[in-house]
Amino acid sequence: MTEPVAQIKNVKKQIGNKTIIHGISLNVYPGEVFGFLGPNGAGKTTMIRMIVGLMKVTEGDIYIQGNHVNREYQKAIAEVGAIIENPEMYDFLSGYENLKHYARLAVKPISEDRIKEIVRLVGLSGRINEKVKGYSLGMKQRLGIAQALLHSPSLLILDEPTNGLDPAGIREIREYIRKIAHEENLAVFVSSHLLAEMQLMCDRIGIIQHGRLLQVEKMDMLLNKHNKRIVQINAHPLGKVIEYLQALSWSVHQSNEIAHVEIEKQEDIAKLASDIVKGGYQLYQLNEKHESLENTFLELTKEEL
Amino acid sequence: MYFFRMLQNEHIKIYHKSGTWIMVGLMIFILLTFALVSKFILNEGETVAWERQAQAEITQIEERLNNGVALKVERDYLEQELAVLEYRLAENLPPLEPDSLWGFMADTTNLTGIASLFTIVIAASIVANEFSSGTIKLLLIRPVSRGKILLSKYLTIISFAFVMLALMFGLSLILGFLLFGVTEETYAFLTYSNGQVVEQSMISYILSLFGYKSIEIVMISTLAFMISTVFRSSALAIGFSLFLMFTGPQFVQLLSSYDWVKYILFANTNLMQYINGVPMVEGMTMSFSITVLVLYFLLFIVVSWSVFKWRDVAV
Repeated sequence: MTEPVAQIKNVKKQIGNKTIIHGISLNVYPGEVFGFLGPNGAGKTTMIRMIVGLMKVTEGDIYIQGNHVNREYQKAIAEVGAIIENPEMYDFLSGYENLKHYARLAVKPISEDRIKEIVRLVGLSGRINEKVKGYSLGMKQRLGIAQALLHSPSLLILDEPTNGLDPAGIREIREYIRKIAHEENLAVFVSSHLLAEMQLMCDRIGIIQHGRLLQVEKMDMLLNKHNKRIVQINAHPLGKVIEYLQALSWSVHQSNEIAHVEIEKQEDIAKLASDIVKGGYQLYQLNEKHESLENTFLELTKEEL
Repeated sequence: MYFFRMLQNEHIKIYHKSGTWIMVGLMIFILLTFALVSKFILNEGETVAWERQAQAEITQIEERLNNGVALKVERDYLEQELAVLEYRLAENLPPLEPDSLWGFMADTTNLTGIASLFTIVIAASIVANEFSSGTIKLLLIRPVSRGKILLSKYLTIISFAFVMLALMFGLSLILGFLLFGVTEETYAFLTYSNGQVVEQSMISYILSLFGYKSIEIVMISTLAFMISTVFRSSALAIGFSLFLMFTGPQFVQLLSSYDWVKYILFANTNLMQYINGVPMVEGMTMSFSITVLVLYFLLFIVVSWSVFKWRDVAV
């Protein structure tokens, strides 16, 4: 088993009388994208702020490459590159000057070539000498990633990295994150409340709610576990169709103008279609809905509410 | 080397802002206006021979001393003045005229409030702006202690204050030279210490004027820096520091009959009061003021440092 890059051991955070994080433990390994998933206000950002030392840990320990974040902060943080929430940069400086600024704060000097290489990697070469003021959110996000990667960290922490990006930008960032994690053996810790996004990006996922880690699972395991197949149908008249199908002992429920039918195997789809047609109804649409992480997530967090 | 790079970063962040250059431009503009006004507008009045004026002043002072002066402070001041005037006449040393190079430069030190103002603006925003823009997060997650980050910012302010003062000094020297030229008469600045009148060369007198002003600027900027670090609001820090800078001395003057007033920061910031003037509160001495200033300075630094070091950053 490879050594984890980040070890979080029973970490608690208390602010005033309020406990924000109730004892979270998890490991992040090299070469994996770990998703930290939870609704807004669950404590994701607080947890990330503790990992990078912006907030003090009330109880418990965090190690990065074996260095304790509180006791050996400088050694620990030298291994980390991060974006926390929005990629805020000095907007009166150019993108390049921003990167130079952070390069000067690295332990080992960072060469001009390395900066140029990173700029190329995130696709900002054309506009790197413009002031950040004029950048789009997507460009700022990419500059943020460049800043985080400059000093070749072993742990990359991205807090809501796709926030505010358009679909093309999201896809680009996602593919890029997967690429660097797997090719450069980097441990990536990503937080998000966007389930579909996490499903596509992460190898492993931890679900957090109300400051507690509910489950840590490999993505494929998580998806198989809650394996219910659903077919969406649109037929006319829908109300009658639903009553008819229920009479035939299909498990049906309606949401909006679509009926959801639970099935078990492939052949059920053909049978369902023929049942509707046989009943004399007009079938407009029928497709299988792939179970997303969303349902799993909602199911997991439902009991808690 | 690492710390030098941090200083470099902080300087870049200040000097890449257009606001900084607007302030520098304003400073140059004000000095230029002041120089032109002193040259062409203020010097129209008729000039009386300085010897006659000095003689008249001596008579006036003697009269007042003979009539009896209630306050010891006032009597000390008058006796001091008298000694200087008599020395001036005896040695034939003309007083400083505002339309001379040295006179103009000495007058310029009254404008150092502008340097204070601009330094306060920078000091009040150097930490607060990192918080309001959110860049503080990326700045703090570097392999360096928070204390050093704060120190790099503080030293940058101090360097800015001295750049502003050096600019004022250099500019007033050049403008004074161009507009008034070097006079043949030899001037000497006369101070009174330990019951004796002492001659001081003009250049060292003017340098010491700037020196004392720099202490004032450092104190008020350190205060602004502390407020900005604690409250993370540049507007609050600028407003509060300026308010104190303008009302503080008046407030002290108003309450100068109370003894405790001498412990107020603004009763001590102007060390010139011991060189040519009388102390704000009776019984204050240079070393007392320096001790008070050092204590305030340490307080400001320790408060800034401990708040900055222990704060949870949640912006």
